[in-house]
Amino acid sequence: MPITISIPTILRPLTGNQKRIEVDGSSVLDAIERMEQRYPGVKEKLITGDQAHRFVNIYVNDNDIRFSEGLSTRLTDGDLLTILPAVAGG
Amino acid sequence: MSMNQPLTGCVMKGPKNITPDFAPIAASFLYQSQALGIQTSANENCAGDDALCFEFETPRTAPVICEITRWEDPSRQATVSENIMQAACGLMSVHGRTHRQPKPLGLNYISTLTAALALQGSIAASIGRLRGLPVSSSTVSMAAAGLLSMSQYIAGASASESPETAEAAETTETTRSLPGSSPTCPPFVSLDGVIFELETLDTGPWQKFWAELGVGSAAAGKGWRAFLLRYARAAAPLPDELPLAISKLTYHRISQICAKTGMAICPVRSIDDRAQDDDARQIWQQGPWSFSSFSSGPKPNGEYLRPAGALPEDLPLSGFTVIESCRRIQGPLAGHLLALLGATVIRIEPPGGDPLRGMPPMAEGCSARFQALNRLKTVREIDIKSAAGKTEIRELARHADVFLHNWAPGKAVLLNLDYGDLAAINPSLVYAYAGGWATDCAEHVSSNSMPGTDFMAQAYSGVAGKVAGGGSRRGGSLFTVLDVLGGVVAAQGITIALLNRCMNNAGAKVTSSLMSAATLLCAEDFRDIYSLPASGPKPSTSIINEIYATRQGRIAVECPDMDTVLRLAEVLDITAGIENKGFQRCLSEVFPLRTANEWVELFQHAGIPSAVVIEDLADLQTLTHLQSGLTPGSYTQVNSPWRFK
Repeated sequence: MPITISIPTILRPLTGNQKRIEVDGSSVLDAIERMEQRYPGVKEKLITGDQAHRFVNIYVNDNDIRFSEGLSTRLTDGDLLTILPAVAGG
Repeated sequence: MSMNQPLTGCVMKGPKNITPDFAPIAASFLYQSQALGIQTSANENCAGDDALCFEFETPRTAPVICEITRWEDPSRQATVSENIMQAACGLMSVHGRTHRQPKPLGLNYISTLTAALALQGSIAASIGRLRGLPVSSSTVSMAAAGLLSMSQYIAGASASESPETAEAAETTETTRSLPGSSPTCPPFVSLDGVIFELETLDTGPWQKFWAELGVGSAAAGKGWRAFLLRYARAAAPLPDELPLAISKLTYHRISQICAKTGMAICPVRSIDDRAQDDDARQIWQQGPWSFSSFSSGPKPNGEYLRPAGALPEDLPLSGFTVIESCRRIQGPLAGHLLALLGATVIRIEPPGGDPLRGMPPMAEGCSARFQALNRLKTVREIDIKSAAGKTEIRELARHADVFLHNWAPGKAVLLNLDYGDLAAINPSLVYAYAGGWATDCAEHVSSNSMPGTDFMAQAYSGVAGKVAGGGSRRGGSLFTVLDVLGGVVAAQGITIALLNRCMNNAGAKVTSSLMSAATLLCAEDFRDIYSLPASGPKPSTSIINEIYATRQGRIAVECPDMDTVLRLAEVLDITAGIENKGFQRCLSEVFPLRTANEWVELFQHAGIPSAVVIEDLADLQTLTHLQSGLTPGSYTQVNSPWRFK
């Protein structure tokens, strides 16, 4: 069973307007790379090098990857990867 | 060169006698006017119970009527009060999200906002007259001010894609999974009872801090999501482990860990604490703005007095150009208000656009909350750190009337885009800084070591302490009290500087901040502490000021005097006197007999101030008496608070 990635509205123009896509991936970075192969341009909206952009929050089954292994966070079949653009402060 | 009291020579005439429900508005309005150097006096022509009216006159313009009403609908004369309007506009509901029930804010917030918007309207109208517009009056209602304060939350609650509900904001998977648990949120309490706020805008300090406290990464991660989103949702349901870990350490120890990990910390101070700060009295005396100008250099050439336009719909600032480089809430709200006054606002965003555009809930592909504050602006994507970007900004400023930013302290100097830099190429420019703390200097001020965010400013300024006194547990509000008022104050300052430019042929720099907005909000408290005479009528304390559960919904009821209490008792058929212990019990037993709407209709006929407590912001657009202030669409927009004639 592949990984499901929930695409935020702001990125859907890059993924053919799909809200959810399925990819295979052993880690978060791996899943993003596979998504990039299918939908070029999405990777640079999410990460630079080995880190997610400051205003991009990535969750694996509701767990923030910054609080586990970051982009190296392992994935297993059936996991849900959620991308949430959010800005702190006001 | 400091420019104290920039509207010296102007006159504001108001009524001699002011009805109790307008008293807090009048007090704030007169305080602000006097801080600007406006001469205030009483005038028989301004008398009336239906509205609070002033006449504003400059040395170069005929008087403009400044009218303040209760509701947008002039036929609706139901008496209101601060708490009634907080209930009716949804503010009690937003503030109450951390309490899981609507709660009054404990501040004369909508009254202060109304006064600020009304003063700004009259100043803008005078600018319009100087530019040839046939404008003779400006009207603002309390209801419009209340709705404006709720703009972002209304947008979130009405967004076409996954609108937010109050319930969703208050709970998380963590709190739902713990039976009997209640949401936990800032401010925090240490082992030795110190109530304090924490702040960081990045995950790094947050991770390190909680790791030092022995909190597991999973809980810290769930806490970060709630903490991150609290500005947007007015709720922060943290996992129990976080406040529990805090409660085991003294404030001193926690401060040490903050210093080590980069987390900012601020105790919740009282107004008395704030009043003792070196800068507090001066800020109170000068009002929430600081004005300065260059005494040397080229003079403006007067082109800014170009006519406003010939169309009936032209607004006072039509044809003026504002360059806005602001993030988040306070600065963008200031730009939005100037756009509502007719200005063309060009918003500078980083290449790729402001990341807030992508923050849910969304409406037609863009964040509804973002659109609530930025929908009227055109956008230029500029890298302000690059040489080409700075050149582009300077060129924009050359032809603009206003340059507004809220960059971190000292950044403008580093970028060579400070007031002096831009005034040299455009002497008529109004340069505005909307900051967190009182200064935009990079010089160290104790408060400058903390992020200048709303909740930190609430804690430091005494506002959070005052909210605690109003019954909100530990104090503070996760409703962005100071961001909204700070945005209004920043827009006011710009409008004042534009009028000063018209009168004195001089550009100016105007600085305002969340801290100075806090001083405005608590102006009467500072006046009492400094033992200074009142500028207007002193608001009185109501005899009854409560929220009651009914058969359907909740109702806010306020009785400012015994006559109103007696009318209430008559309508409810209660024979016990208010001094009787059973009176409140009788009220609690009677109200469930009818719905909140039914009670409000009865009370309106009896002249008893009341309102249905709005708990779902999406309901606002269904209310007849508020519909003129809202525009439905892919999200509900809050309309301009001003009406000019």
